[in-house]
Amino acid sequence: MRSPLVRSGDSARPPPFSDMAAPYRENRTTHLETLYRLTDRFYRASDMQSVLRAAMDAITEGLGCAKCSILLFDSGDVIRFVAWRGLSDHFRQALDGHTPWKPGIAEPPPIFISDIIKSDDSEFVKTNICNEGIRSLAFIPITSQGRVIGKFMACYPAPHHYSEASRTLAVTIARQLGFGLERAKIEQARIDSLRDLQDSEQRFRLMAEKAPVMIWMSDAKGNCLHLNEMLRRFWGLDETGVASFNWQSTVHPDDADYVSARMSAVTERRERVSVVARYRNSAGEYRILETLAHPRFSSDGTLMGLTGVNTDVTEREYAVKALRDSEEHFRLVVEAAPSGMVMTDGEGRILMVNALCERLFGYERGELLGRPVEVLVPPDSRGEHPSLRSRHVQARPPHLLTREVMGHHKDGRSIPLEIGVNPIQTWEGLRVIATISDIAERKQAEAQRELLLAELNHRVKNTLSVVQGIAYQTFRHSDRAAREAFEGRLLALARAHDLLTRSHWESTSLRQIAIDTLQIEKPDGQRITAEGPLINLNPHAALTIALALHELFTNALKYGALSQEAGSVDLSWRPEKAAGKLRIEWREHGGRPVRHPTHRGFGSLLLEHTLARDLDGRVELSFEPSGAVCIIEMPLSEQGGPACLG
Amino acid sequence: MSGLKGKRILVVEDEALIAVMVEDMLADFGSIVVGPAATIQAALALAQSEVIDAAILDVNVRGERIDPVAEALFARGVPVLFATGYGEVRLLNGAKAVVIDKPYTKEKLALGLTRGLGVEDPVTPS
Repeated sequence: MRSPLVRSGDSARPPPFSDMAAPYRENRTTHLETLYRLTDRFYRASDMQSVLRAAMDAITEGLGCAKCSILLFDSGDVIRFVAWRGLSDHFRQALDGHTPWKPGIAEPPPIFISDIIKSDDSEFVKTNICNEGIRSLAFIPITSQGRVIGKFMACYPAPHHYSEASRTLAVTIARQLGFGLERAKIEQARIDSLRDLQDSEQRFRLMAEKAPVMIWMSDAKGNCLHLNEMLRRFWGLDETGVASFNWQSTVHPDDADYVSARMSAVTERRERVSVVARYRNSAGEYRILETLAHPRFSSDGTLMGLTGVNTDVTEREYAVKALRDSEEHFRLVVEAAPSGMVMTDGEGRILMVNALCERLFGYERGELLGRPVEVLVPPDSRGEHPSLRSRHVQARPPHLLTREVMGHHKDGRSIPLEIGVNPIQTWEGLRVIATISDIAERKQAEAQRELLLAELNHRVKNTLSVVQGIAYQTFRHSDRAAREAFEGRLLALARAHDLLTRSHWESTSLRQIAIDTLQIEKPDGQRITAEGPLINLNPHAALTIALALHELFTNALKYGALSQEAGSVDLSWRPEKAAGKLRIEWREHGGRPVRHPTHRGFGSLLLEHTLARDLDGRVELSFEPSGAVCIIEMPLSEQGGPACLG
Repeated sequence: MSGLKGKRILVVEDEALIAVMVEDMLADFGSIVVGPAATIQAALALAQSEVIDAAILDVNVRGERIDPVAEALFARGVPVLFATGYGEVRLLNGAKAVVIDKPYTKEKLALGLTRGLGVEDPVTPS
């Protein structure tokens, strides 16, 4: 049950007027005084209790009754006692909720009951009223904005006559009370909302104070009004030191002009501004703070000051600077690279070129950036380039591709280039880096070398031809066999030269020497097999081995296995790594039985002596029933030397 | 040796000893030597004036390419055999020509000539 707002008759708080009926003299002057006092007290009343108390004073005084009460509809539309005088708890409980009017009806008439005994009220009501010592009573509706919100009751112990003047006064008091209650309600709402506002402001102040960022307020001149806890800690201040704190003195001298220029921009242009600068903290260390400052205006548009938030971005700025430095290093390295460099995205669009690349192709970089890399490819191979490119970048795992290609200069020339293309996956997506070298000079040098080698070969062979001519004349009328043997040796030498020319006088494979010397690829060369791993011979060893094989071959053709239908030759070689030797075996099968010749011809000499000496090796020539066997051993090394493993 | 017998073969060779050897070889085949010419100029004169069935041309004659002589011969439809120490020869377009490596044997020369002349009777060593 709702407790009454005003309870008169409490011993602790006697009402201003006695409950005992004061000598009552009804006249207009008293009524006006009552209304005047009531109006004055309503005017001063700051809460509901004062309004109700003033109203009850006016009722008892103006209407001359000792018992009275005020009842209002509650939020459930049940009428409740909110203030009373001289009424028992029992009476109030019995009559709580009893009303002649429904809530909200418009302007109901007041009810004056001169004698309750004679009224047509219910026996319950009559009994309760009589038991309270009441014989006459008036119910005056209280309205607010034209609607009934409650009533007040004036009670008399004896049958009472209600004069016209007292009825008017009662209604006037009720009307005033309606206004007073309305005003008190509005005032209460205002007080409540003000308290809410204060609570909310208090909460925000607390949040700002404890927030993990630095928050501040300044006045229009830039003096500190408020710094939150974190900012005070940054500068080592307590709250009392805020007002006199000169924050400008903590700005790094190099940043001071910039900061003050930016801050005045806020006040002049009246827009928010972001400033990054160095400030000295309480430890004397400079930290980089990013400040976001908003101007604050009064309702008439006057600048009140700034409100801002500072964030310590020292680590972030250092990281950004480190990144910027590393990007700058990268750019410098690329620009200074001794080869042209192009970077494209996965679709082949040019994202970056360096200075050397500009020079190689004759373009300014602005002309290349964003264009497809095919602009650097000669028109005749431009069409197939995108598919080659995408095949390479999609290959897994990604790998460096090196090749010699032609490039397309801006002036239309084709330029010989060597390119190395490497796809790399970055956080921005696929990137393809190509390094480009101009190999025109190298190509020219290579051509020059080829030319010189061809010329050398030509001269050597011309000389050999001349030697052949001399021999032709020398042997013309004497020994034809000797001439042919000589010619054969000369031609073997010439063939070995050809082979060396083809391999640029670097090294030649033993197999190739065997194939050329023994004419294995000819249809009738099938009778000779040559088997062994890849062994490379240096030019000197190649010439010597070629001559030795030629001797063995011609000997086999004339006297050995190859002079017989069924004869054959097995040539094989194998490295003996542990001994560091190469072992070459010539083994004839199905030949005529031959004896070791008593005459030591050039062939034996070449094989047994020259070969052994030239190659620092060992030659063992034997004539077995099945045919000749020749075993050649020569030094073998991993690389370099007369013979090495391929 | 019937294929080459009586054929008129132009020889261009600036090395006298080689030229003599080629003459000897051709004589063995029963061919008739036109030349030998040791300069491009002399070769050109012969190529334009003589009756020639085939030619053996050194590719490099005293530092000059044999091309003008070859062209003159090609123009006349004369089959040409290039003898070269270069290993390989860049041939003129559409030329009907055979290349043999220097040094070469008599057999190789005979084979080259008969192939060049389109004679189906290869020479066997005598």
